[in-house]
Amino acid sequence: MPEGTRIPGAIRASGLTYRYSAGLPALNGIDLEIGVGEVVAIVGREGSGKSTLLRMLAGLVPPASGSLELPVKRTSAGRLMIGFAGEVEPHFESMTGRQNAMFFARAAGLRRSEAAASVDEHINQLGLAEDADRPVSEYSFAARRRLLLVEALAHRPALTVLDNPFLGLDQPARSALIHILRVQSAKRGTVVVASGELTLLPEVADRILFLHEGRIVTGGRVAELLHTLGQSTRIEIAFERRPSRLDAQFRPGITVVSDGDPMVLESSRGQAAVGEACAALNAVGAVIKSVTVRESDLAEVFRRVTGAELAS
Amino acid sequence: MNSATWSLQWRLATTRKRVFILNVMVPLTLVLPVATGAVPPVAAAGVYVVLFAAFAVFGSALPLRVDGQRGMCARVVRAGVSPSSYLLQRAAAGAALDTIQLTPALLLAAFAAGAAPTQILAAVVTLAGTVWVWGVIGIVIAAASRSITETALFAGVTVPLLAHMSGVFRTSAPETRSALLEGVSPLRALHEDLLEMIIAVPSAGGVALLIWAILLPLLVWLLGPRLVAALDRQTRGGLEGA
Repeated sequence: MPEGTRIPGAIRASGLTYRYSAGLPALNGIDLEIGVGEVVAIVGREGSGKSTLLRMLAGLVPPASGSLELPVKRTSAGRLMIGFAGEVEPHFESMTGRQNAMFFARAAGLRRSEAAASVDEHINQLGLAEDADRPVSEYSFAARRRLLLVEALAHRPALTVLDNPFLGLDQPARSALIHILRVQSAKRGTVVVASGELTLLPEVADRILFLHEGRIVTGGRVAELLHTLGQSTRIEIAFERRPSRLDAQFRPGITVVSDGDPMVLESSRGQAAVGEACAALNAVGAVIKSVTVRESDLAEVFRRVTGAELAS
Repeated sequence: MNSATWSLQWRLATTRKRVFILNVMVPLTLVLPVATGAVPPVAAAGVYVVLFAAFAVFGSALPLRVDGQRGMCARVVRAGVSPSSYLLQRAAAGAALDTIQLTPALLLAAFAAGAAPTQILAAVVTLAGTVWVWGVIGIVIAAASRSITETALFAGVTVPLLAHMSGVFRTSAPETRSALLEGVSPLRALHEDLLEMIIAVPSAGGVALLIWAILLPLLVWLLGPRLVAALDRQTRGGLEGA
């Protein structure tokens, strides 16, 4: 989305903290600002505080401390301005998907005809048409996920907060969801998603925030984040046998980041340098046990910033 | 405020046709032997009062507790419905449905006793008021309990207790404390209307019922957010580890 159309301050948070009832910290001083019409993805490991932060941004959980400015929850005309879908939410099981979606659209303040049109449109877009008139009790996990998205989006909220929205969706539904979110953004709707689908995030998100142990450790546009890695591929080499003195000579384009075990190299020539590096190490008597190649992707950004793997 | 919750409750009730029919047939089945047997009128009226009140309070409290436990109440409120409006629309739809489902049983009792049409009409109106009050009591019971078992226990205790206080099981001496209590009890009106219907004893409990029918919903309206928060208590624990 063009920079010029953003108005800062759709969400403004400072020093947000939250503790679970057992006293364990979930969020530990979150500062963030999300502009109107911006699509922001929050990425982190399981238990990093993503869902708690999303619930807070949707106005469902108050912070233990800190300040949080959110868009107005309901207009003077009674229209709900926030759409939220958690990973799993209950439904009225004996009613059909369409009836469920209609209830939530009506509850959000849409007139009956308006609700029916929007529900129908979202059901078709997200590929729920075949199941829409069956009771939810007969739904698969994937159909329930689609229904949740229909319910969160049908009233066209100003702020949409979705926890793991791509979970359980097939490729056409994923593409449809990305399209819906981009259209919302173009119409000045703010979107916050938490997702581990790193390959999809560059398509949908203007900005990515990495959350680790309750803190935002880094964030920015995808290109900016990848730029922090340089144009390099990281190669980790573990040894079966490692000479005490390892003075392998590498050609230009390969630099040694860490001379331990594993040895960490950085290559500006991509995977092409792997064979060459192994040959140079073998030549000085090293016996290689394993080689791990890490491309310049968002998971690698996370790993370098936190020292932890994204997929726990 | 829109009527989404009211419409929803009707839709849920009409979708589950088997449950709807059972809710008509079970009270009929329970009333039938009392209405057609040689049961003393005072005892018969007592049975009907307890049956109707139990039907309303269980029908209100148990589904609400279940919805609270699975996070449905919180979700509905999160979707933009005000907690107070949600609870009261639910109670209102429940009372209307209860009246429809209990009226056949009431008519059976009335026809068996040879009641006059005006007495029957008065009893149906009082029944509607009574199930409304007990539906609202059911909301409070659901919010005060922490499990479905507790809800059933609290509802099961409340009905006979208030029936006793209403003079269903005894006749208090005039101007005693228990007589005063009977006068303001929410079950008094229905008990007296049923007695009037069966043995033509004049009824005079309507004012107390009217007061309860206004005061209790007002209380629920004021405490709506707290009641929904209490219903959601177990669901909120689910945030742990998020």
